[in-house]
Amino acid sequence: MSDDTEPDGGPVVDEATERVDGSTDDLLERILARDDLVVVGFVLSLFVFPYLLVNLLTQIGEAIGFSIGGYVGLPTLVLIFGIVVIGFNLLLGYTGLLSFGHAAFFGVSAYAAGIFTAEATAFLPTAVAHSPLAMVGVGTFAALVIAWPIGFVSIRRSGVYFAVLTLTFGQMLYYYALGPGAWLTNGDNGFSDVNVGHLLGTFELEEAILGADFLRAYTWQYVFVAVAAVFALWMANRIINSPYGLIFKALGQNEQRVSFVGLDVFRYKHMAFIISAGFAGAGGALFAIHETYIHPTTSLYWITSGDFVIMTILGGTGSLVGPVLGALIFEYVSNVISGVSLPVIGAIGSLWRFVLGAVFVVIVWVFPKGVYGGVRDVVVALTGRGDDDGGEEA
Amino acid sequence: MSLLSTTSLVKQFGGLTAVDEVSFEVDRGETRAVIGPNGAGKSTLINCITGMLEPTRGTVEFDGEDITGVEPHDAVQRGLSKSFQTASIFPEMSVEENVEIAALAAEHGSFQLNFLRKRESFDEVHRISERMLDAVELLDQRDHEAASLPYGDKRRLEIAIALASEPEMLFMDEPTAGMSPGETHATVELIEELQDDLELTILIVEHDMEVIFRIADRILVLNRGRVIADATPEEVQGDPEVQEAYLGGVEL
Repeated sequence: MSDDTEPDGGPVVDEATERVDGSTDDLLERILARDDLVVVGFVLSLFVFPYLLVNLLTQIGEAIGFSIGGYVGLPTLVLIFGIVVIGFNLLLGYTGLLSFGHAAFFGVSAYAAGIFTAEATAFLPTAVAHSPLAMVGVGTFAALVIAWPIGFVSIRRSGVYFAVLTLTFGQMLYYYALGPGAWLTNGDNGFSDVNVGHLLGTFELEEAILGADFLRAYTWQYVFVAVAAVFALWMANRIINSPYGLIFKALGQNEQRVSFVGLDVFRYKHMAFIISAGFAGAGGALFAIHETYIHPTTSLYWITSGDFVIMTILGGTGSLVGPVLGALIFEYVSNVISGVSLPVIGAIGSLWRFVLGAVFVVIVWVFPKGVYGGVRDVVVALTGRGDDDGGEEA
Repeated sequence: MSLLSTTSLVKQFGGLTAVDEVSFEVDRGETRAVIGPNGAGKSTLINCITGMLEPTRGTVEFDGEDITGVEPHDAVQRGLSKSFQTASIFPEMSVEENVEIAALAAEHGSFQLNFLRKRESFDEVHRISERMLDAVELLDQRDHEAASLPYGDKRRLEIAIALASEPEMLFMDEPTAGMSPGETHATVELIEELQDDLELTILIVEHDMEVIFRIADRILVLNRGRVIADATPEEVQGDPEVQEAYLGGVEL
């Protein structure tokens, strides 16, 4: 086969034709494995997502007597955390590095974006200083800048030590924001001076794009965050299909071998860390836009870092959109289920973490590969098409 | 002119001297075997050369450059490649991806900022991968998950990974360990073929004397970290000190 391939693009064509030939019996599996189609599917689902989460669930909730519908801002919030965990998954799901400090990048970016809107008017036109796009740019940049040294130090250790080092850096920033840095962050009172201007100078983020009441969840803010989420997913897809994707996966499986094929393990792990911090930063700045208020506990605290880990594992590590499903389940339980009132037990309220824990245990037990991996396996099983490994045994 | 040479190489672990003043040279195109009883320091010697361990004293020169104590990825980039004693592969990646990553490193160096470039566009990388998979006869299994291969194939894949780094010199740490006689035979033939096709210089650590006497041009014999012989297979066979080390003085 290698003899008759053309040097210019031959192998690629060969591979493509072979895929088509060999895929008739497991077409579905191939489709599910195609990352480009996953991106397209993600884009399409974003059009109906707010309607399903807010309108439809509210109607169902009214019919059965429980308030299970999402509120207007929830689809946006889910996507904000979705962006964070898409990046976090590059680190945890591919490279196999468990960071317990990604709240640092999320929070630093949120504060940087917020402080930028408050202070930049001194030297920039208000339209720029309050521009949501500029906020995301400034926040992401701040996250990348701080990720460089934190990664540089933490990557030198692996496993538990890496997790604890990242946790420590995150907590250092948390306590700084809470106490000594109060001149900058307003400490425990929270930073409320976040001035979010119009998107591209035109669109008021809080307004619904169509004005129609039943589509009120489709705000300009949702559009903005949805576009950002698509961009984030597209970036992640590009990264996974670049040499980095292969190298990240390889690092997670056999780090020693990676250095013995001639690749600089430290620099690639460092890049994985910085790239994932960039996604956390983008999410953090969007969070500042969404909340227009930043507190150390909602942004920099280690529990936020832990939430990223839970979302990623819940949704499915090592799959492109899986973690976004994790973010959806997490935010749904935390924001909607917490408001549900049950007979006998009463309001779930702050018991939501208990519910989430139960959901987490069940999902990890039933679907070790997370919701996305589990649904995929179920679909494949129901259609009677074994995947590559199973096919051999059958 | 020699391709690789070590001068008074020493590696100590605490009070134990695992490699003791080892000086030897490997000529370009040669197949050099390293033998010795268990614990003689064979693997430690290789690890000191390929960068896994830093030697306590002494120098390693490769192709006229001092490479003492360089990091493994640096050594590989300079043309030293290693195949491991256990099949050191990427189990959850496809057979092709396993080789592709080594080809990537050979083509693009130890680090690049190309995280938005599509892997599919690297034709040269695919060409190298296919050629190496063809060389070890795994081309037909290239879409299989590496973990699903039988043990002998995993070892061959491991050799293909080492080859895809486009080395000038290949270190093989017991390539036939744990293999059936049939697999051993196939591996030996593979090594001989590679030697001819790719003009490789090979340094091989091996316990199977039959394999060694068949492929080695020269043999370095270690005992307790020291060189006790460095000669042709015939000379080594008749060397009384080697017999002493292996069999406690009993005639071979």
